Amino acid sequence: MDDKKERSISRIREELETYESIIPLLELEPGEMGHLQLPILKNITEQHRKTLECVENGLPFMASQYTNPVEILTAMDVHWYFHIQQLFAGSGTGGGPHIAEDLEEADKLNIPRDCCTLIRLGQYLQVAGLYPLPTAYLALTIPCDSIAGWHAAFMHHQDWRNIPVFAPDAPYHNDDRAIGYYAQQMREMVEFITEHTGKTMDIDHLREVVEETNKCYALWMEYNEIRRSSPTPHSYILPMSCFFQINTSGAGVPGKRVWYEDMIADAEMRVKENKPEVPGQKIRAFWYDIQPFYFGEIASWMEQEWGAVIAMDMVSYCPYDLIDTSTEDSLFRGLAKRAFQDGPMIHQARGLADNVIHDIQRIVKDYKIDCVIFPGHMGHKDMAASSSLMREVCRELGVPFLYLGLDVADYRYMTIDEIKDKISQFFTAMGLG
Amino acid sequence: MLGFRIRATGSQGTELSDSFFSTINCTFPRHAFNMALKGEFDFIDGLVLFNSCDHIRRVYDHWIRQMETPFVKILSLPKKAEQAQVEWFREELAILRDDMQNHFGVQITDEKLRQAIKLHNETRRLMRQLYELRKADNPPITGAQTLAITVASTAMPPERFNQLMKELLNDLGNAEGITDYQARLMILGRELDNPGYLQVIEDQGALVVADSLCFGSRILWKDVDESIDDPLAALAQYQIAERPSCARMFSEYDKRADYVRQMLSDFNVDGTIYSRMAFCEVWGFEEYSMINDFKEWDKPLLCLDREYTLSGVGQLRTRIQAFLETMGK
Repeated sequence: MDDKKERSISRIREELETYESIIPLLELEPGEMGHLQLPILKNITEQHRKTLECVENGLPFMASQYTNPVEILTAMDVHWYFHIQQLFAGSGTGGGPHIAEDLEEADKLNIPRDCCTLIRLGQYLQVAGLYPLPTAYLALTIPCDSIAGWHAAFMHHQDWRNIPVFAPDAPYHNDDRAIGYYAQQMREMVEFITEHTGKTMDIDHLREVVEETNKCYALWMEYNEIRRSSPTPHSYILPMSCFFQINTSGAGVPGKRVWYEDMIADAEMRVKENKPEVPGQKIRAFWYDIQPFYFGEIASWMEQEWGAVIAMDMVSYCPYDLIDTSTEDSLFRGLAKRAFQDGPMIHQARGLADNVIHDIQRIVKDYKIDCVIFPGHMGHKDMAASSSLMREVCRELGVPFLYLGLDVADYRYMTIDEIKDKISQFFTAMGLG
Repeated sequence: MLGFRIRATGSQGTELSDSFFSTINCTFPRHAFNMALKGEFDFIDGLVLFNSCDHIRRVYDHWIRQMETPFVKILSLPKKAEQAQVEWFREELAILRDDMQNHFGVQITDEKLRQAIKLHNETRRLMRQLYELRKADNPPITGAQTLAITVASTAMPPERFNQLMKELLNDLGNAEGITDYQARLMILGRELDNPGYLQVIEDQGALVVADSLCFGSRILWKDVDESIDDPLAALAQYQIAERPSCARMFSEYDKRADYVRQMLSDFNVDGTIYSRMAFCEVWGFEEYSMINDFKEWDKPLLCLDREYTLSGVGQLRTRIQAFLETMGK
């Protein structure tokens, strides 16, 4: 393998090595939550190993974006990696070893600093040669301008210019006509994958995969029902992993379902025995945005300092519909709807602001929320323009609302201390905790 | 019906719309919605919006909640430019036509649409004639004046506009060209409708001879194809696939770059100003690609962020003067 190829997988190798060293320790000493944490780590390492295998052996694989249906790729037996996930791999999550250097390097690119830092980082990783070059790329035009705007810059790079790319075009409406239009885009995606990997679609296999992921989604929704309990059974890490688990490699594998079943069993036990993972809960917060890279520090501090738990969050609350698997048409329409209407960020940010209002109304009531925290990532311009609607609906519901205005990737934009200070002042002023 | 493109000309502030938008939102929708809240668009009978960007699409959400405009629609504008998207947008236009007919009690027949296409194509042709004059060594018109005319074309009855344009072109044909300029500039960007901005640039000794703006060449460079029998299909084809695209359009960068490069050559441009509205993501990432391409083309490029209203004039003057100096002008 040449140096360039080796560099492209260096972050994946690094994360793989980190998790491979943690797994035996966790197996040895699982503690209370190890049986639920281990499958997540194993899932990541399994995915990384497959990516490395593809790169090292020249096997076909795709780069994709986070709401393109994984069921299609699984059913076609094509490996993929989400290139946005590379931001987290060995660099970001929990303030990883490279984040400071990556942010500084991203700042040197000629991209205005008011553009989404997450995406600027993504562009830097490309410039630095840290994405494995795939056989073909499944892009995305939603949910935000930065994803769409980035694409031109991304595909203009000399290493990626000749990589075949397909992006489904998402409509702005939600009606039947819009679903039909996007379903056709899904079919074109299948044709594109076949054209560039030689793999074909077996509809019966797709049905099996979707039936299995349907079960996972149903279990996830059941788990979310248990989260209504006060005190909430789990801390923030496991609930926020629900989307990741279903949406990375191994979609349709029964082992995934077992993880959700175990989550439910553990949550039920905790509710029944009044043994929440976070003791002394006083504040139930709704975190209405994606979680920052440094969320571990914020959320743990909220729990310990204020007894504030994330009772629900944007990533783990998306009202998915189960897919009707009876016909080929219903399969594609179901996958289409899920892909352009239901996923995190897509559900809230792609279309009209109505979902923002409905989400808050529903979650505040269903989850007995004491306050809504809108982190307001600086890249989410549409959400920023919806913040007045959030504030208004919170006022109607009589629940305090906090707009932070942070940067999910860059802790220099609003420092962690500033964030803690704002949250503390908010809790104090509102008489919470 | 008279079409009027929403602007915020004359806006002095965002004191009312700041309750609805954030400080990280583009100032164009903030000023425009502020004017709406002040009642300055009360003269319109209907509003048609698009999901053009993350900032503007939220105007719809606030407008339907705060304003009493009787007819408000948002059209789903695709981000790709292939046949499926043309067909989707044709359906959007057909639905809009039905809604307008029902609401306003008018008949929008194919024949009327064909006549309207012809009329607006004439506007485009006349405007292109104006641009042709700007290719000369001594153009008879400044960039600021051209922008004022382009903006007028989006607000006036087209018949009257076309008549005035013919008279203007006749006059300009006999006019003396501008000779006292140091450099020929092109300007790239999005919502720029204030001739005063270009006036500041031109006051420093430059002459703006070309543009790729959405109140500029991008709305007039191509005609709607009058040979297509279905006028809605012709309009959809034009909007999605034919006209020079905004940076929001996916997978169209190469075409946009070719368009800019052709303009640089055709208008003998010395230097280019990339004028981005602050907080605009699509034009932000476009800027990155353009900077790389301009380096490759060995052409001078100055990137300037701006607000919707003219501000920071002193700094703008200094930046332009420095840019002209770096070009040896």
